Amino acid sequence: MEKTANKYMNPYLAGLMLGVVLLASFYLTGRGLGASGAMRSVVVSSVNTVSHDYAETSNYFSKYISGEKSPMKSWLVLEVLGVLVGGFISGAFSGRLNFKLEKSPKITSKKRIYLAIIGGALFGFGSQLGRGCTSGAALTGMATLSLAGYVTMMAIFGTAFALAYFFRKNWI
Amino acid sequence: MRIRFVLSIVLVCLGLVAAILPQTKNSSMELDAQQLLNEIQLENYVISVDEMANALINNDPEYQLIDLRPEADFKAYSLPGSLNIPFDSLFSETWVPYIDQIARKNVFYSNGTTLASEAWMLTKQKGYKNNYILNGGLNNWFATIIEPKEPASTDGEEAFFQYEARLGMKQFFTGAGAVSSSSSKQVKKPVPRKKKKMVAGGCS
Amino acid sequence: MGPIIPLFEISEEINLLIAFLIGLGFGFALEQAGFSSSRKLAGMFYGYDITVLKVFFTAAITAMLGLLFMNYLGMIDMSIVYVNDYFMSSAIIGGIIMGAGFIIGGFCPGTSVCAAAIGKIDAMYFIGGSLIGILLFGQTYPLWEKLHNAQHLGSLKLSDSIGVSDGILGLLVIAAAVVMFWVGEMAERRFKREDINNEI
Repeated sequence: MEKTANKYMNPYLAGLMLGVVLLASFYLTGRGLGASGAMRSVVVSSVNTVSHDYAETSNYFSKYISGEKSPMKSWLVLEVLGVLVGGFISGAFSGRLNFKLEKSPKITSKKRIYLAIIGGALFGFGSQLGRGCTSGAALTGMATLSLAGYVTMMAIFGTAFALAYFFRKNWI
Repeated sequence: MRIRFVLSIVLVCLGLVAAILPQTKNSSMELDAQQLLNEIQLENYVISVDEMANALINNDPEYQLIDLRPEADFKAYSLPGSLNIPFDSLFSETWVPYIDQIARKNVFYSNGTTLASEAWMLTKQKGYKNNYILNGGLNNWFATIIEPKEPASTDGEEAFFQYEARLGMKQFFTGAGAVSSSSSKQVKKPVPRKKKKMVAGGCS
Repeated sequence: MGPIIPLFEISEEINLLIAFLIGLGFGFALEQAGFSSSRKLAGMFYGYDITVLKVFFTAAITAMLGLLFMNYLGMIDMSIVYVNDYFMSSAIIGGIIMGAGFIIGGFCPGTSVCAAAIGKIDAMYFIGGSLIGILLFGQTYPLWEKLHNAQHLGSLKLSDSIGVSDGILGLLVIAAAVVMFWVGEMAERRFKREDINNEI
């Protein structure tokens, strides 16, 4: 297990660290981690800024707009900002900071970009429907033994495994 | 390899321990035995009859008297403005909003102190706040306010002042036009305590 | 007793500050684990890198055991801790769509932010795509509203639905995870791809 493991932290240790952070979150605030909700806040804020009236009438976005408070002043948005900074610090610490379009050598950069956008769109859409992503629903959900968490996790990973064969050329 | 091995062993052991632990529910509101003991020792949950009498005379809205005796006894005699919650129905749905609230100080009383003390312990343990007991109950009320004892001639000045005050109170509560038990004073609607509920969470 | 902020009614400002600090830890741990690389994440599904499995399950189990023991020691009031609300249809279908997004895009929202932080351009496009996807969902919501709210079963716990105690479920999850760690390690050796590992 030598390979490039000395470049990254041992995955079990990293998992332990992540688990402690998650536990601290529960103990301090009563909630777990999340990410897709913050992205939704960005979208809601933008829609609200562009056209407040439209945002109010939208069945979905109107739920997240309240009169006084900006949707950006939410727990998840602050947490994701922390993720951004934390990731940066870790990258800086380990010398991994550089601009790079990561892809398999078998595909073009353009294709990778399209795949990233489409994958993102699917994930964004799915996260709203499924009420969470791998951090909020799957990881947090598993820690609290919630049925929703386990079901979502199995759906995500099961589907990814099932479709892996069809997209293998993009990765290996 | 080593870490995986150690981790597996540790996790399985912890898992075994977790599996045999009984499932407990913690309520952040309830007090445990030690906390209850501390509260009892502080002793600031007792209201003296003099203090209560003064409060009634001054129409102080801070207190709400609660009579724990059966309805018949309540109708026969009760302190002005008191609410009748028979002891057995203390935790019934109708009455919980009155004993689990944040607006006024509830003062439990019964004939002696047994019922009142029990009611205090039960509500305290559940984490309800603002509950007190009337020192000595109705028996003490009669002995002190309604039939004040004249101090001996050798007692100090303070005892005499207290006696005079109590004579005045007796007049207030029993004299002509005295405030009677069936006073028209409305029992105020209780202000319920904010219930603790689940935090919002998830990716939402 | 925990959770501290809700029970002691601490101000929203402190809550947001804690959120930021938690995120800091989250992002740091993710990046240290290597989740800032889409090819490393994708490795989970092709067998050459099972880091996702190890990190994910170790983290979930650590937090799960933490909560179980804290509950037993009276250190936390679990009735206040958030348990995900279960809407069966949308959880499954949403999960399927997300799974597709995962294998196509190579990221999930949390890891994409982490990767973008260190300069990964594909992650930035992924984030852009996510925003578009969310916007799309909102714009077409009337089409999905019924599905989104169907089969609402509340904050159900897995242990309750299969009828075991929390502790026993914990043991089962740990057992499954340990098996997967060892099997996965064997798979990693079989599907080894040195060329990719040297790049990521």
